[in-house]
Amino acid sequence: MLRLYQRYFCVASALFVPLLTLMGPGWLNISGVGPDWAVLWLLPWALVDGSLSAVIAGLFLGLILDGISVSDISQVPALMVLGFWWGYIGRYGSADERSFLNLAILAWLGSALNGVSLLIQIHLGLNQPSLEVLMSWGLYTLFAQSIVTALLAPLVCLFLLKWWKRRSYF
Amino acid sequence: MSPSPWFGRYRLRSFRPFLPWFLLLGGFFFVRLSKGAGFLDAYAFLAKPFWPGSAQKDWIQGSVQLEQLNRIKLLEIDNQRLRQILQISKSSKSDLVSAAVISRRLNGWWQQLELGKGSVHGVEVGNAVIGPGGLIGIINSVIPTTSRVRLLTAPGSQVGVWVPRTKRHAILTGVGTNRPLLKFLDKEPKVRIGDVVSTSPASTLLPANLNVGIIQFLNPKALPAPEATVQLTASPEAIDWVQIQIR
Repeated sequence: MLRLYQRYFCVASALFVPLLTLMGPGWLNISGVGPDWAVLWLLPWALVDGSLSAVIAGLFLGLILDGISVSDISQVPALMVLGFWWGYIGRYGSADERSFLNLAILAWLGSALNGVSLLIQIHLGLNQPSLEVLMSWGLYTLFAQSIVTALLAPLVCLFLLKWWKRRSYF
Repeated sequence: MSPSPWFGRYRLRSFRPFLPWFLLLGGFFFVRLSKGAGFLDAYAFLAKPFWPGSAQKDWIQGSVQLEQLNRIKLLEIDNQRLRQILQISKSSKSDLVSAAVISRRLNGWWQQLELGKGSVHGVEVGNAVIGPGGLIGIINSVIPTTSRVRLLTAPGSQVGVWVPRTKRHAILTGVGTNRPLLKFLDKEPKVRIGDVVSTSPASTLLPANLNVGIIQFLNPKALPAPEATVQLTASPEAIDWVQIQIR
């Protein structure tokens, strides 16, 4: 039995995260805000491959995504925490038992946590003039992103889960 | 037996052949009194195919546009010559590089464009990016073949601008929303809603006198100095090609 990180095709699928982030397909947006592709990829990875692997995957993904973004704020801490948490969840109960709703709720919470971490960084680091303006824009973006991520999660995460589970247990 | 019915019947019968002519005459009087009602309508209806149509309008608009473009070009050359005489700034010897927008993220956590030209083409960090409508953003990072633009709306973006009408300097600060915040340096900026915001003519970092936006909302009670909300004139969501000003 090979672990998931030893399957190079499974690892290579992570390259789609920055590509999709850059492309940002317009028809997947809710009022201009696209889904959080990193969360959509990291959730099944953590559920299948466990905490340690997911924390490292979160670190790598975060570093790539920070590299392709205007560099003031970082996704790394939120993604590492999410990887650890989801890996912890994945240890209990087979990943087969994950229902549509379960995945959607996990992705929704993950995207929201990522958004909150970014909001805090923007507020502390960028010397924002007024908290009101920041909160109106930030909460709007946070809700739009978490909703569209949660809507996509059953589709994307279930597909990745099925694929990776088959690869990792034989 | 009264004579009047006989008389009336006789009159009517004798007038009847002339009745159409009287009606015609009445019609002409009506036309005369109403300054040509009906006649001109009929003429307009008949002549409609020969009116100056959209093609003619296009020609005229095209030539007006051409004239204005020519005039701007001439004025720019003149302006540069005068600036060189006055030795105001070296950035006026500008070079524009056209670049395609290869990725855009406008409304999420990051507000940025990726452009298809990089350090190989002479792009540097801090160069101004101009699109139809005015200033779009500043180059944030460069690799050999692509470069990244931080839009004016992005949180953390800060650009020095001024209001030409009152000649007051201010800092345009991105707050994430579509309309960045203008923080004045004076206590009394004396600006109004509707004032144009542009880059400063003395600026060496940005091209001089470049259109940025229009003041939409004014908050005179903000501390430590008044603030305003600016509607940008350039719209990055619709722009596929931009120009980078290379120093």
